[in-house]
Amino acid sequence: MPYNIAMVSDYFFPQPGGIESHIYQLSTKLIDRGHKVIVITHAYEGRTGVRYLTNGLKVYHVPFLVIYRATTFPTVFSFFPIFRNIVIREQIEIVHGHASLSSFCHEAILHARTMGLRTVFTDHSLFGFADAASILTNKLLKFTLSDVDHVICVSHTCKENTVLRASLDPLMVSVIPNAVVAENFRPLSHPAYPPSEFGNHMVPVQQHLGPHDTITIVVVSRLFYNKGTDLLVAAIPRILASHPHVRFIIAGSGPKAIDLEQMLERNVLQDRVEMLGPVRHEEVRDVMVRGHIYLHPSLTEAFGTVIVEAASCGLYVVCTQVGGIPEVLPNHMTVFAKPEEDDLVAATGKAIAALRSNKVRTENFHDQVKKMYSWTDVAERTERVYDGISGVLSEADFYGYDAADAASWSATRGRAGVQSFALIDRLKRYYGCGIWAGKLFCLCVVIDYLLFMFLEFFAPRDEIDIARNWPKKIRVENSRRDQRTFKR
Amino acid sequence: MVPNPAPPPSATITEPLPPLTRSTTLPLYSYRPITTDRTLLAPEDAIYQGSPPRKQSPAVAKAARDLHMTNGPNGTARVSGRTRHKDRPRSGSRRRKGTWKKLLWVNQSYPDNYTDQETFLEHLQRNPRLQPYDFWPLVADSTIIVQHVCSVIIFVVCFVGIFQERVSPVAIVGWGSIATFLGWFLWDWWVGQEESTKPSTTPVSTSTPLDASASSSVSNLLNSNGNGHANGLSSKHSHSASVSSLYSSTSNGHSTNGHSKPPTPPPNHPNHPSPNSSLLSHRTSLRLSTAKSALLIYFTLLGLSPILKSLTRSTSSDSIWTMSLLLFAINIFFFDYGSPPSRSSVGGGSKNIPASLSTNAALMASTVLASRLPSTGQVFSLTLFSIEVFGLFPVFRRYARQRSWRGHVTLTSFLVAGAGGGVGLILGHGGDGNGYFDWPWKSGLLGGIIGVLVTGLVMGGCSWWLIGLQKYKNEIHGPWDPARPVIRRDDY
Repeated sequence: MPYNIAMVSDYFFPQPGGIESHIYQLSTKLIDRGHKVIVITHAYEGRTGVRYLTNGLKVYHVPFLVIYRATTFPTVFSFFPIFRNIVIREQIEIVHGHASLSSFCHEAILHARTMGLRTVFTDHSLFGFADAASILTNKLLKFTLSDVDHVICVSHTCKENTVLRASLDPLMVSVIPNAVVAENFRPLSHPAYPPSEFGNHMVPVQQHLGPHDTITIVVVSRLFYNKGTDLLVAAIPRILASHPHVRFIIAGSGPKAIDLEQMLERNVLQDRVEMLGPVRHEEVRDVMVRGHIYLHPSLTEAFGTVIVEAASCGLYVVCTQVGGIPEVLPNHMTVFAKPEEDDLVAATGKAIAALRSNKVRTENFHDQVKKMYSWTDVAERTERVYDGISGVLSEADFYGYDAADAASWSATRGRAGVQSFALIDRLKRYYGCGIWAGKLFCLCVVIDYLLFMFLEFFAPRDEIDIARNWPKKIRVENSRRDQRTFKR
Repeated sequence: MVPNPAPPPSATITEPLPPLTRSTTLPLYSYRPITTDRTLLAPEDAIYQGSPPRKQSPAVAKAARDLHMTNGPNGTARVSGRTRHKDRPRSGSRRRKGTWKKLLWVNQSYPDNYTDQETFLEHLQRNPRLQPYDFWPLVADSTIIVQHVCSVIIFVVCFVGIFQERVSPVAIVGWGSIATFLGWFLWDWWVGQEESTKPSTTPVSTSTPLDASASSSVSNLLNSNGNGHANGLSSKHSHSASVSSLYSSTSNGHSTNGHSKPPTPPPNHPNHPSPNSSLLSHRTSLRLSTAKSALLIYFTLLGLSPILKSLTRSTSSDSIWTMSLLLFAINIFFFDYGSPPSRSSVGGGSKNIPASLSTNAALMASTVLASRLPSTGQVFSLTLFSIEVFGLFPVFRRYARQRSWRGHVTLTSFLVAGAGGGVGLILGHGGDGNGYFDWPWKSGLLGGIIGVLVTGLVMGGCSWWLIGLQKYKNEIHGPWDPARPVIRRDDY
């Protein structure tokens, strides 16, 4: 059955980035599958009010104070009135929040539960447990996720991290990876899309590299500490010294760019390393196809979409073995290195040798990656999560218990997913968050509930207009939905 | 099931963490082959709290009772309903083929929320670098803090003594300077010993060539100046000298004595016109440069004293007391108590900022305190004394701790007794002269004894407390932590 879904996050277009494009792609594919999706984000400069994007995706830009890097100021309750209005207008059933640093998303999940809606949260990043900022974020995350129906993580490492951070039941955490739009990341030799269904099934020609042909190594990354720019700065001179026919192309900007430039000047490598500066996301493919090897020295990474994009462009990937990266690509596409200078140099050397001996069939990478990651697949799997939390899928199917067991154990709690909306049950869940935090959270929830009652009384539901839906094209093919989809 | 409370950050653990083995996380009635001694958690460890009470099936309740019996009261852990599917295949197993892999690119027949019991949280590490404290080493280490607090107390006592005009400022600064000179003498002797055993390993050499050349040019001038001065006077400024060079090169800084120059380095004197020739001349030039800065600071202080005296005339005394209290607190909290990494390189480069903050706070506190004093001589004495106590004494203490443990303990006991006695004396003779005790030395003795007792109790108690707190330590590390890049800095 189709759902009315609200994606809530601080991060959305016009700001560029991974989470933003994730929300957009997922929403688009869900709309294609017959659901109604709206996006709620805060107002950006020159982008206020209600907007429609391609495919009828409606975006609400709520005016809010932005404090740091597009994150709004966390006011626990002030978002509620307008959020309630939007939710009622659009007849939302499922609220899907994104990104753990977005206060918008956390507030929306809290209010949605107060209003009796199903909630899903997608975590895109990894957090440690040591520093003060992480501890605070983790506490807030625990607050929100105490009463969420389901959580989606982008990799298994991310799932372990989130389960620990928010003390979740691992069964209510799904792993659904990011994906790439393969059409936007095709190799140079690959025919352009849209291809005829069978016409382009030609075997790509293997490119032969002689021992003296130039191999170009591409780095596309923001130049920050946690992206491993220090490793890059240390490794580049050594790689270039031991391999004479190698060039570098570095795209991206950031505070560490100055280190990189100093290194180039100290070693006089300007003719062998090309620094492009900041590159827009649409241009990344054009940079990538100029190279043979993609080097990714990051120190922490939840998923690493960029290495999938690189592999999709037909590049052999050299990356550090951190975070969720080892799960992302098969071994024949990657060379893994420890996050050490020596190991990175050795791994790059190995990759260069493998390319020179023509052992790596990089021309096949694109089609393989296309099969591995697609947004349609992500949307299908997300839909299964929606089915599970709204009770369409039976509990045994979704959580994998045997039916007999499920009966006994759903008696009190409902099930893990279909949690009770009763205030007392919610308070119980929040109370376990900590000695002091639990009581504070309970207080917040009670106030939120009172606010909800207040709003119901002074701004009654029947006085809020229902928004008309965007007229949809009827798609007959590849839609499992029947006609009632379109009556809504 | 979870006999132990679980890992997440806010876990309130009421007993020391026992080694988590795989077997403890498996159900009792598991028939899965148990891989023992893996330090990892099962998913259930993560959900120890935060979920409402659930109705338990009879089997689970029984298992919980068993656990309770075997594990004691703490074993009433969460036996969540979910333990059931450990030994029972999930629904996915019906269509499952092949084993689950922790990979994203494989199209697996498992549901997205499948949690693999074998590999979930496999790489989790808890307290990987935990070093349990022992009682006596901890007590021994706490002497460093005690020393510093005591020296601050002694300084305050001296100020009160001067302020109430019960002690002559000249006496205080004279004794302080004599002590400083003795300390310097000891230090110089130690450095000499060290250099004779392993020449040219001390990093002093890095900063000395400059000093040497600089000081040699003015050495004649310095000589005449130094000799012209009376020994008693010059002894004071010499020590202040080192403050300027104290944090530029800490080990160098303590070689402070301009005043000693006339008596002590006579054997080296002849060498000093050619400063770069040998090790001896190098040390001589070091002393000379110290003497130079000592004189500089001495005269600056002498010139500044009248200004300092009237610095806070328009401020009320209450503000001054509050401010100096605050500044001394900053001094104590930001003091660099850490022990240097190795004997030769005293005070690494990275720790300089908090250390200088602490010293500056103390010097500022003493400056504002000195500005309360009525006469220029008192102001000068107190400021000089503060430089000795807060600038030079810490360096000496640090060095003494490395050189001789016995000396360190002796020094600590003297400081504690001195601070206690000083406080006793001050309290013993209150503002009107009629204190709690009629005989001043008696109150001083009593104060000393009480001070030693209280300090001992506090040291022991705090150490014991810290050891007790250690069971709450729960550091979690895993693949999500940002990796630390290993870079060979020498290459580029």
